[in-house]
Order: sequence, then C-alpha cells, then structure tokens
Amino acid sequence: MGEEEERSNLEIGSDQDQEEEKGEHQVVKFLDSVDSYLTLFESLSTTLRQGYLELASARQSMGASRINSALFDLKYHCAATSLQVMQEDVKEPDFNLCKWVSPDNNKSCSEEAKFDQDGLSERKSSNSQLRYRGTSEIQEKILESNGSTAAVEDQIQQERSKSLSMFGKLVSPKLRDAQLSFETALDILIEIANMRSSLLSAYDQVRKDMESTQG
Amino acid sequence: MANKVQVPTRNSALIAMIADEDTITGFLLAGVGNVDLRRKTNYLIVDSKTTVKQIEEAFKEFTTREDIAIVMISQYVANMIRFLVDSYNKPVPAILEIPSKDHPYDPTHDSVLSRVKYLFSAESVASGKR
Repeated sequence: MGEEEERSNLEIGSDQDQEEEKGEHQVVKFLDSVDSYLTLFESLSTTLRQGYLELASARQSMGASRINSALFDLKYHCAATSLQVMQEDVKEPDFNLCKWVSPDNNKSCSEEAKFDQDGLSERKSSNSQLRYRGTSEIQEKILESNGSTAAVEDQIQQERSKSLSMFGKLVSPKLRDAQLSFETALDILIEIANMRSSLLSAYDQVRKDMESTQG
Repeated sequence: MANKVQVPTRNSALIAMIADEDTITGFLLAGVGNVDLRRKTNYLIVDSKTTVKQIEEAFKEFTTREDIAIVMISQYVANMIRFLVDSYNKPVPAILEIPSKDHPYDPTHDSVLSRVKYLFSAESVASGKR
C-alpha cells in the first residue's frame, strides 16, 4: 500500500518536472529571441549608418539636385525585390526575400538570393575572393558546370543598374556602395521580421503557460 | 506531424516604407520600390511638411493592403502615431520600427518589446509562480 502511494507520488513528481522543464525551455527560447532581436537591431543600425554615410558622400560628389526624391521613378513598375511569405502557423509567418527578380524573369528567387548573397560576401572580402579564384579548383569547376549562374549575375547587375538609373546613367561609385549597404540592411530586416515572429510566438506560449499555472 | 505542410500564402508580397527621404532613397536603390497602375507607391516620404494625419492614413493603408507583407517605419515617425502602432497586433503585415539618420534605435519605444516587457517585470513572474 505504502509502496503504491510512493510510486504514484514519484510519477506525479516526474510529470511536474517534465512540465517545469518544458516551461523553462519556452522561457529560454523567448529570452534567446529577445537577445537575437536586439543584436540584429544593432547590426541593422551599423549597416544603415554606413549606407547613410555613402549616400551623403554620393550626394556631395554628384550634387544635391542629382540625388533627390523628385527624381524617383513614378511610372508604373513592379518591385524588383519582393517577399515570399510562408505561413505554417498563423501566428508565426516566415519571410523570404526574393532579390532582383523582375516580373519577366522566370528564374527561381531562392537561387538568385543565394547567388546574390555570395556576391555580397565576395564584395566584403576581396582578398578572400582572390584566394578562392587562385586556389579553389572545385569552386571553378562548379562555376563552369553551372553556366546559368553567369546569366543570373548579369540579370542582377542589370536590375541594379536599372535601379540606379533614376539618378542618371553615370553615378558616383559611392552610390553603388550605398545600394549594396541598403541591400545588406534589407537582408538583416528580413531576419528581424522572422525573429519578431518567433519572439511573439514564444511570448504567447510563455504567457499561456503562466496563465495555466495560475488557473 | 505528417499533417504539417508549409503553404506559401503570398508569392510576391511587397515591403512598404514610411520614413525620411534618405531611408526611402536607400531602399529604393535596393529595389523595393513599387508603383501600381493607379500610380500608388508603396512608400511615404516623411518631411517637415508631412502631417500626422497623412502618416496615419498611410499606416492604415499599408497595414490593410493584401499585397504588403512588411511595413518598415522609422521609429521617430512611429512615435508620432504610437497609439496606432502599439494597438496593431496582426502577424502579417509585420511592422518593423527602424532607426533613421538623425534618430538612433531606442528599444524602450519598440512596440514588440513593449508588448513582451511584461514578462521581464519581477512582479509578474513572481505572481505567475505563486
């Protein structure tokens, strides 16, 4: 009789432990999300600051009248960079960026985004780019075999030039740098949007857990 | 588990912006600018002449448009319509408060962090444990 009571007490205890562990896991997930959210914002601030500086340099070299909101393209056109929203859970949407995909272009956006990211990382470290080209035969083989990547790169460059062309055909290199900085900022923003979704979802879960323990 | 299938809900959704001229210029260079057949843009440039009413209307329009998935808003602009931004709680379009050239990002004003800061209060956690 005493043994049975002891066993049932142990079972109840282990169930409580499991619930507590689950609750703690949710809290850790929530705190991690908050931390990542704030870290991403710091990184966004740094990237945007860089972008503003490059834009100001471009404005100084080209003149304020050549980089102005009056020159924005107000004719009908579709966004070259758009989003794909996946919603597994209604409260936790997942955002994917489709960069430089004009409506005429049928290539998959993920491929372009991936290639574009490679391009950005190459830009950031020109030394590593040289090292890759000099030593990595495998990478060259991949590039040769995948002939479409060159076409994709051309497409991206065309779209970038098209976007810059609202400020004229010959623009300051600083404006091109600003364009790349704002592209990076856009990547970070999408990460922030995804982190925001998981943060709010973790918050809802923790709040539900707290309400159930209170009730 | 087998029933969980990811369904793409929107294939080419837009990013809308309510911000100062430099921020809009930068993101237009990054290719997010869109002008529809009615010549409606997916952005609002906020300057000294822009009224709070115009900002409110743009915010309401962008948050109700079906083709918009993210609304970027400069934090100092969001502060002008804080009551609207804080009361908005839909997952899509997601509202992101971003820093601008003259106004750095302040986490204490962020609507998402204000919503979740309840859990950081020692009293709320203690009452939950009781």
